[in-house]
Amino acid sequence: MAIELLDPRQHGHLRLRAAAPEVPHFVQILAPEFAAAAACCPVLFTKDTTTGGFFAGAMFGFKPGENLLGPPEERGGFNPLMLQREGFFISEQNIAIDREHARFSETEGEPLFDGAQQPADGLRAIQRTLGNIHQGLEQTRAFITALLELQLIESIDIALNFDGGERLTLQGLYTVSLDRLRDIDDAAALRLFRAGHLQLAYAMVGSLKQVPRLARLRNQRAARS
Amino acid sequence: MSAGPPVDIPPRLAFHPAMVHAVRKIVIVGGGTAGWLTAGVIAAKHKSRMGAGFSVTLVESPNTPIIGVGEGTWPTLRSTLARIGVSETELFRQCDVAFKQGARFTGWTTGARDDFYYHPLMLPQSFGQLNLVPHWLARDDGRSFCDAVCPQGRLCDDGLAPKTIATAEFEAVANYSYHLDAGKFAPFLQRHCCEKLGVRHVLADVRRVNLAENGDIRSLDTAQAGEFEGDLFVDCTGFRALLIGETMGVPFKDCGDVLFCDRALAMQVPYASDAAPIASQTISAARPAGWIWDIGLPTRRGVGHVYSSRHTSDEDAERELRAYIGPAAAGLTARKIPIRSGHRETFWKRNCVAVGLAAGFLEPLEASAIVLVELSAKLIAEQMPACREVMDLIAARFNATTHYRWGRIIDFLKLHYVLTRRTDSAFWRDNLLPETIPDRLKDLLLLWSHQSPWFHDEFDRVEEVFPAASYQYVLYGMGFRTQVEASALEGDAKNAERALRENAIQTERLRAGLPRHRDLIRKIVEHGMQAV
Repeated sequence: MAIELLDPRQHGHLRLRAAAPEVPHFVQILAPEFAAAAACCPVLFTKDTTTGGFFAGAMFGFKPGENLLGPPEERGGFNPLMLQREGFFISEQNIAIDREHARFSETEGEPLFDGAQQPADGLRAIQRTLGNIHQGLEQTRAFITALLELQLIESIDIALNFDGGERLTLQGLYTVSLDRLRDIDDAAALRLFRAGHLQLAYAMVGSLKQVPRLARLRNQRAARS
Repeated sequence: MSAGPPVDIPPRLAFHPAMVHAVRKIVIVGGGTAGWLTAGVIAAKHKSRMGAGFSVTLVESPNTPIIGVGEGTWPTLRSTLARIGVSETELFRQCDVAFKQGARFTGWTTGARDDFYYHPLMLPQSFGQLNLVPHWLARDDGRSFCDAVCPQGRLCDDGLAPKTIATAEFEAVANYSYHLDAGKFAPFLQRHCCEKLGVRHVLADVRRVNLAENGDIRSLDTAQAGEFEGDLFVDCTGFRALLIGETMGVPFKDCGDVLFCDRALAMQVPYASDAAPIASQTISAARPAGWIWDIGLPTRRGVGHVYSSRHTSDEDAERELRAYIGPAAAGLTARKIPIRSGHRETFWKRNCVAVGLAAGFLEPLEASAIVLVELSAKLIAEQMPACREVMDLIAARFNATTHYRWGRIIDFLKLHYVLTRRTDSAFWRDNLLPETIPDRLKDLLLLWSHQSPWFHDEFDRVEEVFPAASYQYVLYGMGFRTQVEASALEGDAKNAERALRENAIQTERLRAGLPRHRDLIRKIVEHGMQAV
């Protein structure tokens, strides 16, 4: 990685290629994306390996390198913000780039800046994405804090048996506990509802129904090959 | 319509004694680790009654310093702390806690330079299904028992932590307990007990213990806070044993004839730098007239020499300690701690029960002090007599169980000495004298020479202080040999093969995946652990 603050004088010659087509099997997503994500795949929490803190993610496959859902058009247009912004970072009020990321080229793709050193369309879209991420991170953090305060996060073990005999046990995943959600008092329930956290919680729990669907897709793929 | 005559309700109370004296006021005297752990365990167990007539009061002298014995603990402390509701993250932040994954004994068997073995906290692989000892013995391939059946010795050698920052509070990847600063642990528990569990804290010196006519303790007169009445009094006054000893007159049963060490010299040794590795095992280094403990906290090492004054002088003992520590000992002073190995003949008499040092003390060879406090507190909390009328029955049970536990600990500590082959000093030679070895231990050694200790046999108590696995690690770590008939193993050979292979795989997986001990502690302090 070579992180540099984005600067038209320094990076005026750079071009932007489309984000890599390979999608990781588990992608971090933010609160505003939960509804769209839950419509096509499981939404779960996992822990950051450096801090142990929770973050939410969309599951596209069961193993590293496995994407069972295909390109965005095949998942109802859902394309996680974190994938859209690949190569770009927020550094306080500024945009930074990883100069070594494969998205940046001097010969291929669309220019980052126009002739007047103003951001071109591609970069403008990235700017909007980064703005959404900035807000979305705050909302997600508030959601997770609220769940932790009420002790509503529980670990979930997902064990899968596939047609070919393969068994997979997924560990380190967490969701919202419906049992404990039922037990919270009315004031807490109202707070969750007003903060918009209740529908996020239900979106996550509902999205668990996507696990067997994903497993079916995996069986079908295995049967075809 | 006229009502019939009133129906007589049969007097159901006739089945009960006419007067019952409910046990509602628990008074704990002494505010060290024992006092606060006991207060916490009782208050947490009786949470729903707290405030509804049931109370836990801890009376502590504002003038008595805390002894702070043993900074080593057992994994039971994790469940005890979880049960009383403290946060493990806060424990690390407030008590200078490090992880403990077992003990490394050096020089106990032969005294040679390469003489060491581990007593780890993880059970041997597949322990619940299969006893690997005879299979390991039959192989005789030069691998230590610990390394053959469990990854933890290697984890300690590598300086790794027993979990990651993504592991929830109190959960383990490799079983663990803590090394902690006892001087900070007691105040930490105190804050939790008073703020969260409703324990009443009274800073006052007990001036007089008032007895009732039947010999029960009725109340305490204090210098600063007046009189305190109670239904049950817990003596956590340390070596002084104010209630169980001075007041109730229960004699002390000395076991110095079995365990010779009667003195300790302790030092707090700073690290060379903030980045120095922290050992996640207690180091117990044998010496000519005792042994040295070396316990790593994040902030400092606690190092001490436990020795027999019959076999060495204080001056020589201090020289041994300074030689072990090396240049870092220059300018440090050693604190002298007298040890009287033994315990009360009775632990619960009338309405007085002793917990902690007031109940007894043994050399800290296997960190048995705090685990005994936990077990006693749990027993008191769970079997809390409903009324004075049944208290003696509960006391009898408590005494039987606690006697059994002290006996087993003494046997287990002595085991470390009787397996030695050292003859280089009178201390080690004397430890082998038959009259110093408890009969039960002699019988067990005879039994174990023909069959190895395991899951079922002999260890049938629900809460055995040391599980059979601990005996296995010490016995076979110290070169004890159980006769094995190879043909008797065939039925299980495949399963044993699989378990040993699984252990090798697990060992490599954990070594690749676990963080360095100091790095994890730093992360816990910075980020905290999640509760789930």
